[in-house]
Amino acid sequence: MSAHAATADHSHHDDHGHHHEPGFLQKYVFSTDHKTIGIQYGITAMLFLLFGFYLMMVMRWSIAYPHEPLPGWMSWVFTDTWQARWLQDGKVTGDAYNMFGAMHGTIMVFLGVVPLGFGAFGNYVTPLQIGAVDMAFPKLNMVSYWVYLLGGLTMCASFFMESGAAKSGWTNYSPLAGFADGQIVNQWLAGQTQWLLGLVLLITSSLLGSVNFITTIINLRARGMTWMRLPFFVWAMLVTGFLLLLAFPPLEAAGIMQLVDRVFHSSFFMPSGLFTKSEGLAELSGGGSPLLFQHLFWFLGHPEVYVLLLPSIACVAEIIPVNTRRPMWGYKSMVYGVIVLGFLSFIVWAHHMYLTGMGPKISTWFQITTVLISVPSVILLTALMISLWGGSIRFTPAMIWACAFIPMFGIGGLTGLPLAFNLVDLHLHDTYYVIGHFHYVVAPGILFGLFGGVHHWYPKITGRYMSKTLNHLHFWPTLICMNFLFFPMLIQGMAGFHRRWYNGGDAYLAKAADSTNVFAKTVAEFIDLNIMMSWAAWLMALFQLPFIINLFFSMFRGKKVESDNPWNATTLEWATPTPPGHGNFTFDVASYRGPYEYSQPGADKDYTPQWEKPKVEAPTEAPATAPTADH
Amino acid sequence: MADSPELIKKSIKTYTLIGLVLFIFTGVTVAVATVPALDIGVHGFDAWDMILGLAIASFKATLVGYIFMHLNHEKKAIYWIFFGAIVFFAFMIILFMSAESDLIHYNGFRFGLPY
Amino acid sequence: MEIPYIFTPRKDTGMVNSKIAIWLFLASEVMLFGGFFSSYVYLRLGADYPWPERALPVLPGLINTFVLIASSVTVVFAWAGLKLRKWRMFQVNMSITIFCAAIFMVLKGIEYNVKFHHQAVRLDDYTILEGHLNYDKNTLDANGKEVGEDVIRVQAEKLTFSTMRYHAAWVEEILRQATEKGSKITLAEDVLIEGQSVTKGTELSVALLKRVCKNHLDSRGNNASVRTDALRDEWTTAKAKAENAGKRGWEIAPTIEINAEKIAPLLKKETSSLAFVVNPPLQLWFPHRDIKEGDAQSRLRDDTVIDGKLLDSPVNIHNLDAIDFRHLVMKAEEKGLDPIVAIENSWLIKNSEEAKAAWNWNKEQTAKLEKELLDNYGVDEKGVAKRVPTETERYRIGWKDFISKANGVDKGDAEIVISEEFFGPNYKLREAKHTFPHLKIPRKEVFLSGKFTPAWNTYYAIYFTMTFLHGLHVIGGAVVLGYYLFRGKKMYQSNPEWLANRVEVGGLFWHFVDLVWIFLFPILYLM
Repeated sequence: MSAHAATADHSHHDDHGHHHEPGFLQKYVFSTDHKTIGIQYGITAMLFLLFGFYLMMVMRWSIAYPHEPLPGWMSWVFTDTWQARWLQDGKVTGDAYNMFGAMHGTIMVFLGVVPLGFGAFGNYVTPLQIGAVDMAFPKLNMVSYWVYLLGGLTMCASFFMESGAAKSGWTNYSPLAGFADGQIVNQWLAGQTQWLLGLVLLITSSLLGSVNFITTIINLRARGMTWMRLPFFVWAMLVTGFLLLLAFPPLEAAGIMQLVDRVFHSSFFMPSGLFTKSEGLAELSGGGSPLLFQHLFWFLGHPEVYVLLLPSIACVAEIIPVNTRRPMWGYKSMVYGVIVLGFLSFIVWAHHMYLTGMGPKISTWFQITTVLISVPSVILLTALMISLWGGSIRFTPAMIWACAFIPMFGIGGLTGLPLAFNLVDLHLHDTYYVIGHFHYVVAPGILFGLFGGVHHWYPKITGRYMSKTLNHLHFWPTLICMNFLFFPMLIQGMAGFHRRWYNGGDAYLAKAADSTNVFAKTVAEFIDLNIMMSWAAWLMALFQLPFIINLFFSMFRGKKVESDNPWNATTLEWATPTPPGHGNFTFDVASYRGPYEYSQPGADKDYTPQWEKPKVEAPTEAPATAPTADH
Repeated sequence: MADSPELIKKSIKTYTLIGLVLFIFTGVTVAVATVPALDIGVHGFDAWDMILGLAIASFKATLVGYIFMHLNHEKKAIYWIFFGAIVFFAFMIILFMSAESDLIHYNGFRFGLPY
Repeated sequence: MEIPYIFTPRKDTGMVNSKIAIWLFLASEVMLFGGFFSSYVYLRLGADYPWPERALPVLPGLINTFVLIASSVTVVFAWAGLKLRKWRMFQVNMSITIFCAAIFMVLKGIEYNVKFHHQAVRLDDYTILEGHLNYDKNTLDANGKEVGEDVIRVQAEKLTFSTMRYHAAWVEEILRQATEKGSKITLAEDVLIEGQSVTKGTELSVALLKRVCKNHLDSRGNNASVRTDALRDEWTTAKAKAENAGKRGWEIAPTIEINAEKIAPLLKKETSSLAFVVNPPLQLWFPHRDIKEGDAQSRLRDDTVIDGKLLDSPVNIHNLDAIDFRHLVMKAEEKGLDPIVAIENSWLIKNSEEAKAAWNWNKEQTAKLEKELLDNYGVDEKGVAKRVPTETERYRIGWKDFISKANGVDKGDAEIVISEEFFGPNYKLREAKHTFPHLKIPRKEVFLSGKFTPAWNTYYAIYFTMTFLHGLHVIGGAVVLGYYLFRGKKMYQSNPEWLANRVEVGGLFWHFVDLVWIFLFPILYLM
């Protein structure tokens, strides 16, 4: 069987340059090229991350200084009318705090981190790493991005509407979310409804995206790119794709039902006999179940955690072997680990719901699965850690971030363990401990991995390195601020600080001095941490500036790369020209070996790229013409 | 999949037959639900009627999937995936139905708040 | 650049891209509908009201099932036609498929329409009444249509609008009703807007409200920023004071106060509400969901307050289709009451002779059925009858029963015309016998009223949501298949296999839609 017969479809490469040059709009805005779409995703997601960060800064002010008006450097963006509606004498009100809190969570999770990890890195790197010309459905890919943008803007536009944006937490629990903004007559123009509409759009976008990714990975792999020669990054993207594909639709179902609840006054999530202070007995049929919403929400919610995590850990897994110059430790166990992780993530969701009174039977089951899922996570983390052992580490900017990722994500993961247990969770549920835990996972964990990814692939995208000095100015303060911000949360949480106090616990202080209320005294003891944490957050904002400057200035002023493979890496994306043109590869690309062959004995240099033809034509080394699906 | 004209012609007959079977079973499912003489279990609607109705529906769905959606020509792996999915779904439903009895209902603090 | 594996399958996976994609998409769809089916199970298990079993007319659903199965057969014939390179066979079968989709949607539309034209009322004692709303010939809405007598009527003497929000359509509606009845709605007091005085007696208009609201919001915005600046200054001074050194924010906070005199000249006047006098007092009506009624004061959802007496606002049902005591019985049994006593003490039986007669007739019928079942099936070893009448037979008196009663035949023996299986009773046909009671239910007895929409109960909510979503899939599928039918010729001519692949993928989706309906039909119509 000849290699060419099997890949007859590959023979179209030489179309290059024959097609006419696309116009500006087609090239940069409505592009179907996976690389342009990846960059669009990246920039949009980073802007959303900035916006989400800003919302958090305002919240932190309210927590640290609940009696003082917002300082001018923070409040200048608000118009007078906006302040009149949502602030009181410049102080953050409960409504505003709830609005910012709900939108901070939503933006960071759905509009920031997922699009950055899956949308940007996934889009840019995956087809390159498997040796494909583009995604399987380029137009679908473009639609996916625009639907995402539309969904995001729909959600954020509600800030400027009469109702304000959604205010019921990023989890949007009914019946609270079912009632919110009930005074708005045209429900389609209420923030809470817009949130749902935005969500449905985002789900559609990620559905299109994940179908595209999985199809691409299954069908568009280059010659010889067998399953066990896929870089770990691609495996992580495949699993992420499946998580998005299968976990999001139940949330879409929940979103549609809540939409019907809001607009057509049904009672999917409204129990009988709901009574509110303002409305009295609600004019609803009742008979629904708020618990149902939580089940549907967390059926997505937990896999979503891994949708956030996997792209980041994938970046780290690419960065570490390159910069330790040795093969990744336990590639196969990581691959199997990530598959098991993906599967288990579907059966742990109700550990977010121990406090709902869903019953000991279900709680027991979910405790067991939750503890089980820590096994594959620890496998991933341990494999990355052991990969460092005995390597000759180059501390490139990307590597610094990757090295910080490991302990930070470790803290995030380990602080999650107590929460898996029903009894401990009853105390810690909805406290700052939970906030501290998942922010350790997401902020210093996942975001650090993604920052690393930016530095790692930047030379491929632009042909220039990012500045090392600016990176140090960004990295070290961020690392310190992150810990000053999130570690005290764990302490406060164990002391019982509730995550939704808009004044940071200030209401308890009046009682602290002279009452027998022990809890008020505990609050008084730990409330000063609020101020330190808030300053850490604001300083961290300041130290993101070097990154932003670095990102844009390096495009023009950065040091030029010497070759197409500046890090001396082995995976296929480094075989492309810099930056890769339309159609990616300039030669008939094929994979001849595993993804991480560094410092191989007998090799003439310390890395053996996947695309390099074996010197001695050994019969077994011939590229597999028919890689089997169940390798 | 059957690609040669002879095989396609042959499968057209299968499709017609399956269509007829589906028609008949639709009739059957309505008959057992509405004709009193065909009522199983206690008089009126009960769990047995539900099981029967769902069994007929599952049978019809299997025919559609197997023949019309050409699952009979797909790889073995897909069967395992489907089988696994069904087992998983059944397990979850049973878990939740069995736990329906021990829901904890919150009735407020009996002893009042601590302060 | 060309994407590989569009026409020819990749060797090792054995599939073209679109085939993989459609299977993935279907997996996602399975999860979506799985979410809905699971919700159905969850809602049904957790329902605290009698789940409406077999509540829908079966006939339209049955026809739709046949139609959809037929279309599934023809779509695979269409594919086979392409594989055999018989364009005509493809065309004919694909046309039938799309025609079937159209029939399906039309029937669905009829079903929906019937539900939107039937009224349901749940009384405070959980009696449920179904029937047809009476339309008031003397009250017309903005479109000139008669208004259903399920509205709240108030005698408005004074209207107070919130200056933060108002719903323009409602203001216009109030004005329309006022002009119709010759009332004038005028400003109760002078107000100052942008330095100009709008005098007492100015008539209500949307433009006026708009001006006032804008002015109010502007003033509020101005005042907010003035107060914010003042508060900031206070904090700066307070923090600089020696005695506050080292103190925490909340310890200083009680001593801080904005100096009202100092900022007074900078403040603009806010108008927090705008009151209008209605002269002469005007009868207004509103849909019951939009108004929170009170004896002397009612409030609209947009925070407009209406001062004035609440008028008699009954739900007026002509042609009662069904009386359903199952919910009442369920609640009575929860409290340990005897269901029969509870029913006979209900408002309906006490206040309606016709309902009482129907109930007594139904009791006799139940007794007859009970005896019949006992005779046919006997008792078990404990002496309990093996088969007994169902809750529905005992406690629900439906329109078919009213017909049986009027015709003097036993329950279940009424002769029903086919069209009645779709639309419910044909009143013209049965008018002579006065089969269906008429009823006026005072508002204070009503807990919930409305059409058979998602708001009526969770069963109708999930019915509408699932069938609507399924309908969207039918339309989507038909559009795609229609594209292949009308635009496929080019594809067919360039590469028949291309179109065959496409039609196969479209067909897979179509079968999935059929498959969903195969489950939807029994769980919504037969269980």
